[in-house]
Amino acid sequence: MGADEYYGGAPRPGQAARLPPYLQPRPYGGGHHVAGSSSGGRVPAGPAPPSPAATPFPTGPRPFVVTRGRVGDDVSDISLETQVTTNWEAETGYGVWVTLGPESRAIVAMCGTSVSVAEISARLGLHLGVTKVLVSDLHAAGRVFVHTEDVSTPFSTEIILRVMHGLRAIS
Amino acid sequence: MDFARYPDQRAAVRNPKPPVPVKILIAGGFGVGKTTTVGAISDFEPLTTEAEMTEAGIGIDDPGARSEKHTTTVAMDFGCLTIDETLKLYLFGTPGQARFSFIWDDLARGALGAVVVVDSGRLDDCYPAVDYFEHAKLPFIVAVNAFDGRLAHDLAEVRWALAVNEQVPVVRFDARDRISVRDTLIVLLQQALERVGARQ
Repeated sequence: MGADEYYGGAPRPGQAARLPPYLQPRPYGGGHHVAGSSSGGRVPAGPAPPSPAATPFPTGPRPFVVTRGRVGDDVSDISLETQVTTNWEAETGYGVWVTLGPESRAIVAMCGTSVSVAEISARLGLHLGVTKVLVSDLHAAGRVFVHTEDVSTPFSTEIILRVMHGLRAIS
Repeated sequence: MDFARYPDQRAAVRNPKPPVPVKILIAGGFGVGKTTTVGAISDFEPLTTEAEMTEAGIGIDDPGARSEKHTTTVAMDFGCLTIDETLKLYLFGTPGQARFSFIWDDLARGALGAVVVVDSGRLDDCYPAVDYFEHAKLPFIVAVNAFDGRLAHDLAEVRWALAVNEQVPVVRFDARDRISVRDTLIVLLQQALERVGARQ
């Protein structure tokens, strides 16, 4: 069987192609229990995983590919103040978790409370451009929500008054 | 995704709608007190985010020469004030230099307005910011940071020197004082309100 079936379903057509290499599922993420032997395994019961030679995924160290100057359509509508939240509905198996790089894991962990892209960048010590790309990739992988459509400009009287009211309450 | 394990109602509870972010820019030259302004009112100590910009160097017109690219890092200090659980106000300090238009456009897009902080002893420094906001038609005010309670020029002179439109408020404030900063932001928001009113 292929790695697609092993992971409980192939990505939708074209979706795997959009995910950068470091976010695609790997056959031997750390901590995976081998299916078919122990009943306490985290992965669904089924045949043994494919041998490394049979897998279409790259083995060995995964390249961290963040091209300087890459500003695709997916990051251009992300602003400094754009809120990012963790998707609690995402698959949380340990094997899937470790396929994320340390920076991506840190971002997912940080977004338990809604934070801005700027805060992610500042607190993790990542450049803003890199942060936008990572956030965009995590969004494509279904790990976080990126709330780009929340505020409509030009602003309404209502929202300006709410901010003024909130400021006046400060003593 | 395992839909059997996560029924829809749990999804709504586990993924609540986040607060809406709005932002105000704190602009002005180097060392005028932008970060102090942000820090006076922010919930947390100002954080710094860095953006990397690539600038193409000279030699583009010469087909023989290799154009040199330089990367510069631009730092922006910012803070956040939580108005309530549905609304957060971000304050972003702009980079002092005007040449990074890429960053300025990113900052200005979707902003409520800007406060141009001025050190009355160094008025020149804020010209680029004033020009930018007039051009971008973003509501803004000029706020003279009074160090030690004194001003080098009085406000009328500042207005004349900066040649701002007479509708633009020129106020005095103390960047270190929370209430003073609050009042300055309220003046800006009144400008924004008038702008909305004029449109309707």
